[in-house]
Amino acid sequence: MTVGTPGPVAAPHPAPAGTGNRIVVGGVALTWQDLPDPALSAPSAVLAHGARDALAAARHHATHGTELLISTDSRVDAGLRAELRDAGFTLTDLADGQTRSLAPTRPRAAEPGRLWLLTSGSTGRPKRVGHTLGSLTTVRGDQPARTWLCPYAPGTYAWWQVVTLSLTQPGQHLVVVEPDQLDDWPALAAAHGVDAASGTPTFWRRSIYADAAALARVPLRQITLGGEPVDQAILDQLRELFPAARISWIYASSEVGASIVVHDGRAGFPVEWLDRPAPGRPTLSVRDDELVITSPYHGVGLDGPVRTGDRVQVVDDRVLITGRLDSDEINVGGSKVSAGLVRDVLTAHPGVAWARVTGRRAPVLGRMVVAEVVPHPTSAGDGGDPPDEAALVRWCADRLPEHAVPRRIRVLPEIPVKETLKSDV
Amino acid sequence: MNELSRAQIRDLMAQVLKNQGKVLPDDDAADLREIGFRSLDFSELALRVEDETGEELNFDAPGLRRIATVGDVLDFLVELQKQ
Repeated sequence: MTVGTPGPVAAPHPAPAGTGNRIVVGGVALTWQDLPDPALSAPSAVLAHGARDALAAARHHATHGTELLISTDSRVDAGLRAELRDAGFTLTDLADGQTRSLAPTRPRAAEPGRLWLLTSGSTGRPKRVGHTLGSLTTVRGDQPARTWLCPYAPGTYAWWQVVTLSLTQPGQHLVVVEPDQLDDWPALAAAHGVDAASGTPTFWRRSIYADAAALARVPLRQITLGGEPVDQAILDQLRELFPAARISWIYASSEVGASIVVHDGRAGFPVEWLDRPAPGRPTLSVRDDELVITSPYHGVGLDGPVRTGDRVQVVDDRVLITGRLDSDEINVGGSKVSAGLVRDVLTAHPGVAWARVTGRRAPVLGRMVVAEVVPHPTSAGDGGDPPDEAALVRWCADRLPEHAVPRRIRVLPEIPVKETLKSDV
Repeated sequence: MNELSRAQIRDLMAQVLKNQGKVLPDDDAADLREIGFRSLDFSELALRVEDETGEELNFDAPGLRRIATVGDVLDFLVELQKQ
């Protein structure tokens, strides 16, 4: 499936205003305009082998308007490569500024100004979603000068959010983390004056788990979370480390753009935001426990209400996004359990750094709630032992209905993470 | 296949009950309702057997018979491992 953004696509692009911004990539400081300009056919699917190559491709698009899809070698398998060539793209491996290209199997005319994103593929094969630099630029107006960390995989929606911010807004600098630097990013960030960072809850949990003291030395004034359900525990932990920072969580996707932004430090969004139409802003609704968004920013093929596939639950005055509809609901002997809400209870335990909750096949009941956890490294250092299975079961039993209590809880040695910086996708 | 003995399954059953603040009596004829061993506990025990043996139990294989006593649970799980 492919979808595109509405409206005419302007060509050529106006020169982006942020090309004088500082970027740090591979530990080297330069500006956008110092990046090499690779020779790219139109349309091209660029498989960037390094962060610098991906940024160079993005800058190339911003300058020339070349129809592009940017991704990484590891996200595009042989089948997808063939699909892209069939869809008219020249497949271009870009490594250290050098291009190696394969011609499209079905050539077509390029669409100037078009950018394509690959979805994460969490609901099946990755699909292409059409955007433009304009539709990906969701932050406009005067912004305080910031130096942003970019830990995301090139070509993802989250990566484009940070990249377009820096490309289009003067004073928004960028420090890029390569995958092999992920565990040590606080040192890199502190050295280059990073004061704003965006990451998944898993990214932040891993950072706190790895070295909370090193993280606290990064002078963060803006912390943003997104890409996964954001729970109260991680917001509270970040608030404790950064009492003066603005902490925001964002709901955004390739399909509906950035649709929910919450700054009050609480999980979920206010229930009053539901079904409240406002000109130029997304309308949020719930249908059959699913978040439905009508957004002015989503693509052609996606006009009107879009079923997001994300499950929501209203708890008191907040609408909590608990997880994917197809995996969040666990049916335990006819009783519905939200894996996300159980996960939130586990991560609220002071000795738990990370948790994943799933359903497991079981006799009589059909499925049972089970969990994996990573204990917080400081829980032993504080004089207590890390929580064991029985203690965590008791913790959950005090806070959840009986059928929602995970009875089997496996302890993992470290927080698992994928290239998307998510645990589950 | 790595099977657990009846005595090993009994130990696991005692652990499941202990985690619920309950005690497994020595008598195999003890009534499950009286000792508070319910369907959630039964399912947990089955998962513990799977985790110990590293083998999935085929819950669909035998028709579910009446399971009313401690002995019924142990017999059922011993048999299920052989399916």
